[in-house]
Amino acid sequence: MEGNKMETYWDINKIQEILPQKYPFLFVDSVLELDNKSKKAVCLKNVTINDYFFEGHFPGNPIMPGVLIIEAMAQSSILLYTALRPEIARKKPDFYLGKVEAKFKKPVTAGDQLIIEVCGEKLMDKGGVIKAVAKVRGQVVSEAEILFGVKLKNENNKK
Amino acid sequence: MAKKDFAEIRKEVKALVSEITEIPEGELKDESRFTEDLGVDSMMALEIVASIEKKYKVVIPEEKIPTVRSLQNVYELLEEIMRK
Repeated sequence: MEGNKMETYWDINKIQEILPQKYPFLFVDSVLELDNKSKKAVCLKNVTINDYFFEGHFPGNPIMPGVLIIEAMAQSSILLYTALRPEIARKKPDFYLGKVEAKFKKPVTAGDQLIIEVCGEKLMDKGGVIKAVAKVRGQVVSEAEILFGVKLKNENNKK
Repeated sequence: MAKKDFAEIRKEVKALVSEITEIPEGELKDESRFTEDLGVDSMMALEIVASIEKKYKVVIPEEKIPTVRSLQNVYELLEEIMRK
């Protein structure tokens, strides 16, 4: 079953339909690749000097905050989950961040194209574990393992 | 996979659960119920499942997870899967 790779492209409109996060907290610009078989997605965030967080982080030295790289990974994870579990994503569940283990290797700055690769290590109806790698110009800038929960809105009182 | 005896695996699984739940191994009884007695939440449960899968290169079916209520259940399920 090789060669089953879906060369999907999701533009910003599609992303805005899916992600509960909105401006100014949207950190994925497009989905470049989606592969249901290997449970993998490749997403892009164009980092520009116009990004509002550069105003304070840091004046004269624009570095994308690590927590926002994590957020971009988490949002990419939601997009991947949506592709793999469309029947659940359709119900617009809440996504909870459970645990993050991350490493940061290089700073990300204005002008960088942040490529975020997310891979589903374990995906279930109620949550999952994602391995995420962020790269700039082919070099790894950050790696993380993200644990998240998925809960339907009307299920809040149940365990 | 190298054949490991299940007693050894039980010990390893217990250590793993202890690490994730931050409950000392001494307080972790095989019969203790995860949610009621040990306060294990769904996130920890997911982490335990994912760690076991990774460590032993097995797949724990999603529908089996709600039936796992204690460490004893984990051993049984894992042994069942590994015997296959």
